[in-house]
Amino acid sequence: MKCFVLVPGNMVDVAVVGAGQTKYGNHPLGLKGMWAEAAAKAFSSVDGDFDPAAVEEAFIGSLAFGGSQLGNTAALLTEHSGMDGVAVRRVENACASSGFAFRDAWMAIKSGQADVVVAGGIEKMNDLTPERKRYWLGVSGDTEWERLAGLTFPGTYALMARRYFHEFDATHDDLVHVSVKNHLHGSMNADAHIRKEVSFEKAAGGFMVADPLTLYDCCPTSDGASCVVLAADHLAHKFTDTPVWVKGAGAASDNLALHDRPSITQLKATQVASTKAYGMAGLDARQIDVAEVHDCFTIAEVLATEDLGFAQRGEGGRFAREGEGRLNEGATTVNSSGGLKSKGHPLGATGTGQVVEVFKQLRGQVEKDRQVRDAETALTHNVGGSGATCSVHVFGRER
Amino acid sequence: MSTEIWMGYLLHHEPDYTVVQSPFTHRGVRVFGADSDATTLAVAGLLHRLKHDEIPFVSVPDGVDALSLSSATGIPIFEVNDGDESPWEVLMSDEAMVVISKRHASVEIPMMDVEIEVDAEFHEAIEAAWVQELSETHVSQGAYVSRSQYEEAASSRLQLHGQSSGHHVVWPPRFSHVVGGENADGMHLQRRGKVMTWTTLSAAGAPSEFSLRAPVLGGLSTVLLQLEDGPNGVFLMVDDEDAVLAMDAQMELVFRRLYAQEGFVRYGLKARAIHD
Ligand SMILES: CC(C)(COP(=O)(O)OP(=O)(O)OC[C@H]1O[C@@H](n2cnc3c(N)ncnc32)[C@H](O)[C@@H]1OP(=O)(O)O)[C@@H](O)C(=O)NCCC(=O)NCCS
Repeated sequence: MKCFVLVPGNMVDVAVVGAGQTKYGNHPLGLKGMWAEAAAKAFSSVDGDFDPAAVEEAFIGSLAFGGSQLGNTAALLTEHSGMDGVAVRRVENACASSGFAFRDAWMAIKSGQADVVVAGGIEKMNDLTPERKRYWLGVSGDTEWERLAGLTFPGTYALMARRYFHEFDATHDDLVHVSVKNHLHGSMNADAHIRKEVSFEKAAGGFMVADPLTLYDCCPTSDGASCVVLAADHLAHKFTDTPVWVKGAGAASDNLALHDRPSITQLKATQVASTKAYGMAGLDARQIDVAEVHDCFTIAEVLATEDLGFAQRGEGGRFAREGEGRLNEGATTVNSSGGLKSKGHPLGATGTGQVVEVFKQLRGQVEKDRQVRDAETALTHNVGGSGATCSVHVFGRER
Repeated sequence: MSTEIWMGYLLHHEPDYTVVQSPFTHRGVRVFGADSDATTLAVAGLLHRLKHDEIPFVSVPDGVDALSLSSATGIPIFEVNDGDESPWEVLMSDEAMVVISKRHASVEIPMMDVEIEVDAEFHEAIEAAWVQELSETHVSQGAYVSRSQYEEAASSRLQLHGQSSGHHVVWPPRFSHVVGGENADGMHLQRRGKVMTWTTLSAAGAPSEFSLRAPVLGGLSTVLLQLEDGPNGVFLMVDDEDAVLAMDAQMELVFRRLYAQEGFVRYGLKARAIHD
């Protein structure tokens, strides 16, 4: 009888060698134009010669908001970015679509099936009427129960926030600190949707969207596309002298509906995904210099800082209050890009957009004012809906 | 014999019949509240009646949603081949009132002196919104809960049908689950629970199926309840009662209209504060 032994050490390592995105916000172009722009920026960011025709597999995350090209979205997009004929598919996991597209791309190389792979994401959100927009904003929650109880995501996260205030030493002021920080970071990011600082008073006094969450607790609805190029270790240095290595990856899922989870003040999917990613990378939370976390609502950042291990359970409010995630102030800078709150949240584009940010941070390529000093390691955290899906990646300058 | 407030309605109980009326009036005429209709009144009346009588079948007039009524109460609808006559019937009137009666009982409509005069502008706006929402030609952007999806979940949505296995209760039921699943025992959960958290959504934050009514209502309030039997659920608050929400506050679940699409109403359970 033949015996096969899997030797993990023989597996390929995976590097990000190029990354680019459109500016997020109200983009003048539609799907094809936005994707073409993000892909062109990613391809031209590759330092060495790069031919898009060399891409073997492509994974594009999108909810297909608005439904204008719900089927075969990905094939349409690659046709507009010089990747004609590539094996491509749309990956859909709500707001975590491209976090999972990135994971699939990583696995394609890791498994030895491909050497050069593209992962990306896209969403066009602002060409819809307000009613149509509200319809599409609610399709990724539990439509049968939550939605018929009046909930879209601002409402779902509002339920979590109020419960969090009840269980722990935290108030809405702590959420305001998250908002002020992320607006500050985003104000320095040329690609951010909302590029303005807000004062504590202004952020505290926004109009109520879903009590206790106000306008300044919510991400905006953004158009945008993002794209990254991944390569196997034996090719990485052909493309660049400064690849960014994917050191760890983890993903998990949880009950779709909030009310089916035993606790609504933590995201189990984040905890499981990050434990796997840290384990694979051989790093822990204290060793992460830059973290792009999924702050679709300010309470989500508070929960993420705990679930990812930057703060102890129940300490996320204090972490925000004391400014530990502010640029170059604590051990880990949280959302140097401005996060979903200020950089924006074009649903399907967000996950790979986070990778664009950490790729640039680790290579010292962001605007000078918001460069994280001596950044060696980074993490991205992308959540689908209220925590039904989650994908976490850990990156490093060193292989 | 006795008149009481029951599930948000005025209810008068006699040995052979029950009268259920809306507490609201408009220009001297009784009118339905913002999320009530003849079906919701009839369900409240039957659930009260079930405390006293066994009801093997009931017949309902046109204008009452038989499937939802039967799913919410567990009482089968009388079909002609079930026997000569239904032992119980639901009768409707022009005003916001229904009677649940034993067949051939002689019914006397009592005077019920609770009258809450509704704001005329609010009442007209909400009525107009329902008429528009119910129109077959109204193309709503609402989440599509098809008729078959509604019917499939009707007993868990309207009667809190769940599953139990040992000390574990699962609701809504699962097809396959470590605890519930198709082999677990069926059970009906109590329609009571306590508030774990809540929110009030502005009309701009509410899902599109509520876009005609949420601006009239001034937003929507949703509670996450821990039901007495254990599982959690999310529920809209009853539309026409102001509730001061608080952690651990006790709520009861009552049968009301949720929304309409393609000419048919989806009903569900909504929460109202227990005032005792
Ligand atoms: C918060 C929200 C309801 C605001 O929508 P809105 O009231 O229609 O806002 P508008 O687009 O009309 O913008 C009004 C103003 O507020 C600003 N703005 C919009 N959203 C903002 C936000 N989230 N934070 C700060 N400012 C915001 C706009 O730039 C605009 O400013 P201007 O008047 O100076 O141009 C909407 O952005 C929303 O639904 N966000 C959540 C999206 C979501 O659920 N995503 C999925 C997460 S899982």
